[in-house]
Amino acid sequence: MSLQQGTVQGMPSVVAGMSLRRRRILIHATIFIALLVLWETGSRMGWLDPLFYPRPSAILTSFWVLFFGSGHIWYHLYVTLGLVLMGWIGGSLLGVGLGALVGFNPLVRRFLKPYVIVLEATPRIAVAPLLIAALGFGATSKIAIIVLVCFFAPFINTLSGVVNVDPSRMELFRSMRATKMQVLRKLVLPDAIPVIMAGERLAMTAALSGALVAEFIQRDKGIGSLILTYTRNLNMASAFACIFTLTIIGFLIFKGMELADHRIAYWKNEAGMKRIGDRRRRAMSEQGRG
Amino acid sequence: MRKPSSYQIEIALIRFVPHLLLFLALLALWEIAVLTGFITSIIIPRPSAIIGAIVELYVTKGTIYSHFFITLTEAVVGFAIGAIVAVTLAVWSSLSEGFKRYVSPYAIVLNVTPGIALTPIIIAWFGYGMGSKIALAAVICFFPIFVNTLTGLLHRDEDREELFRSVGATKYQIFLKLRVPAALPLLFAGFKIGLTTALIGAVVAEFAQATSGVGVLMSRFSFQLNMAASLATLLSMTVIGLLLFYAMEILDDRIVFWRRDTRMATVSRARARAWLAKSGE
Amino acid sequence: MNTLRASGADVNPDRMPDRQAPVVIKGQGVGKTFGNGAVVALEGASFEIRQGSFVSLVGPSGCGKSTLLRLIAGLIDRTSGNLTVHDKPVAGPHTDVGMMFQRATLLDWRTSMENVLLPTEVVRTPTKADKDRAAELLRLVGLKDFLFAFPSQLSGGMQQRVALARLLQTGADILLLDEPFGALDEFTRERLNIELMRIVAEVRATTLFVTHNIAEAIFLADQVFVMTPRPGRIVEIVDVPFERPRPLSIQTSPEFNALVAKVRDILGDDH
Repeated sequence: MSLQQGTVQGMPSVVAGMSLRRRRILIHATIFIALLVLWETGSRMGWLDPLFYPRPSAILTSFWVLFFGSGHIWYHLYVTLGLVLMGWIGGSLLGVGLGALVGFNPLVRRFLKPYVIVLEATPRIAVAPLLIAALGFGATSKIAIIVLVCFFAPFINTLSGVVNVDPSRMELFRSMRATKMQVLRKLVLPDAIPVIMAGERLAMTAALSGALVAEFIQRDKGIGSLILTYTRNLNMASAFACIFTLTIIGFLIFKGMELADHRIAYWKNEAGMKRIGDRRRRAMSEQGRG
Repeated sequence: MRKPSSYQIEIALIRFVPHLLLFLALLALWEIAVLTGFITSIIIPRPSAIIGAIVELYVTKGTIYSHFFITLTEAVVGFAIGAIVAVTLAVWSSLSEGFKRYVSPYAIVLNVTPGIALTPIIIAWFGYGMGSKIALAAVICFFPIFVNTLTGLLHRDEDREELFRSVGATKYQIFLKLRVPAALPLLFAGFKIGLTTALIGAVVAEFAQATSGVGVLMSRFSFQLNMAASLATLLSMTVIGLLLFYAMEILDDRIVFWRRDTRMATVSRARARAWLAKSGE
Repeated sequence: MNTLRASGADVNPDRMPDRQAPVVIKGQGVGKTFGNGAVVALEGASFEIRQGSFVSLVGPSGCGKSTLLRLIAGLIDRTSGNLTVHDKPVAGPHTDVGMMFQRATLLDWRTSMENVLLPTEVVRTPTKADKDRAAELLRLVGLKDFLFAFPSQLSGGMQQRVALARLLQTGADILLLDEPFGALDEFTRERLNIELMRIVAEVRATTLFVTHNIAEAIFLADQVFVMTPRPGRIVEIVDVPFERPRPLSIQTSPEFNALVAKVRDILGDDH
């Protein structure tokens, strides 16, 4: 947009946009608060049994106590997130490695296909009790469960990313007499990165779910066991406070993965292309001086 | 449907035999590894032991069937409820900008929260029976279906919409004749993910607290360290998963026929026959 | 304005488009701006199009040729001037015109027949007669063996033939074609151009044809609207004095080449 347009026509539209946005935020807030008030009154009027359906005010209080009063949640949060991170890294490495290996080898791919179909149809989280029985209680079996539930998405996505390389680009590389390694590093992997990243996002979500299920079964520590214990004791307000904590974590993970995606697959977004383009330009001009 | 010729059967056999051979070889290798003590049999049982457990569960005792059908029912009913709610909300959101704007924040919150975390709470609300399993299945399969349906319906094919407007179509006609059919492939992709997710919900809820279902059987065998029976049960979950997946695949194949070459050819022939029969009258 | 300089053996005044035929589309100073006047897509377009004539709109991208087509179809509203179709001012989509686009815009889940029947379905439940007409039109465009094929089973050229049949099914006597064969290869395009000429003559339709190919524009049309961009406007209306339908060989005649040179001259360096 030219400067002139910005000054002549831009101004009123910005103000109009602001007021529209403010109005929308206001409506959002009104709906949200109305829902909370409805819930709170419903509970106080005895329409909802507060024993099972805690009041928003009670959840808020529990939230405060868990984080800043007793600070009870921090330890469990640390345990769960540690497991998630380790399991996710393990699962990612395994998934991407296997995916690339299988994708590159048509024979292996052919013979592995039925097993992949079977694995895809199995609710993989169902192996949790089995793994705990085999590996015993403790962190090892929990991490094993997470690795198992989260390796699949990166595996499948890497596999399809590697297999679905544009044939004409492949021909281009062959015409330049590129080695297999060069084809992998300069064509196949960069081309597959956006798909792999999508797989990693799914893997992260799966890892969090896997950790929770492992903790439900082992019931020793972590957010999962905390939720279970609170629910058993009918301390529903605290249980809900834990759930909303998970919402926040889930949101942070989502945003974090999105950010990583934009950084790594920079050629898929305008800001990323500008950032890397500027950097390369600077590097070249410095080289020119040096 | 045409009957496959003997030639086609032969080809299928030739394709199938190497897979079978590999599978048997793997089983034999595994059996030997356990027998020679290379793998501890407590953690990983022999294939023959697993086969023995399968025979016991499915044939001699037949314990699996009641559990099998309970879990299958929970997953299917949960899926149906989740899908109905998801598709309704998605259709409504696609028709009304306002509705979409004020509903989407809640959908996002629901998406980033691991639905599995609700397991204990849902059991507290709906009890130890099938109700809580169905509820969890419905909750966690809602989002993938909602988001796929909405994405499909919101996709704007400007060229085709212009065509519809140029022949004087109403908004309602554009929705029904263009946007809905165009959204069907994504809708079915969502249904497939949703079914798998619903099964996970049912099984996890059974782990947490239940008296019947394959999840219960699975955790019972595991805690008895009866690994062979555990694996045999796991296999039954795979069977449920495959059943659900292929049932949806068949529906997908029938309804979204224009995405499959062979189905398309069949439909094309059927419509040609119908036309000929009518003009013959 | 007759632009023919050399004496043309092919010119036959008796078979020229009827100069006395009624005017079906009339524009007076038609203009269209987007974004509160920031972009002038079309400015001061004045023209008359007579019944049964074939008009090509030629020019580089951004010259407003597609805009003019959409204005006539009523898909977008003009910002200035008068525009009438059959002496009625254009206001919103109307059924006097039918459109065809560069993409075939067929519905993947419908057979050729069902795609052709779409314009009818929008108005009423198709009758046996409607269906027979659809089948007849598909035969007319050379697809009698593909009545029940789905779009993805057809080649690009065949898909455009279905789109043409669908356009004719509207029953509109004005056909608006927006680079209909632009995405096809040269050979298919040439063949389809010849068939298009035959078909519009057969159904006696008034046709507006958008293209950026000068030779194609001249080959098909009785009149060529030469258009230039920034702002989009009709700079000249060139008459083509050859009788229709024309053989392909006409493209090598000196008269034809003179016309091509003239239009290229008007368009300037962009072409």
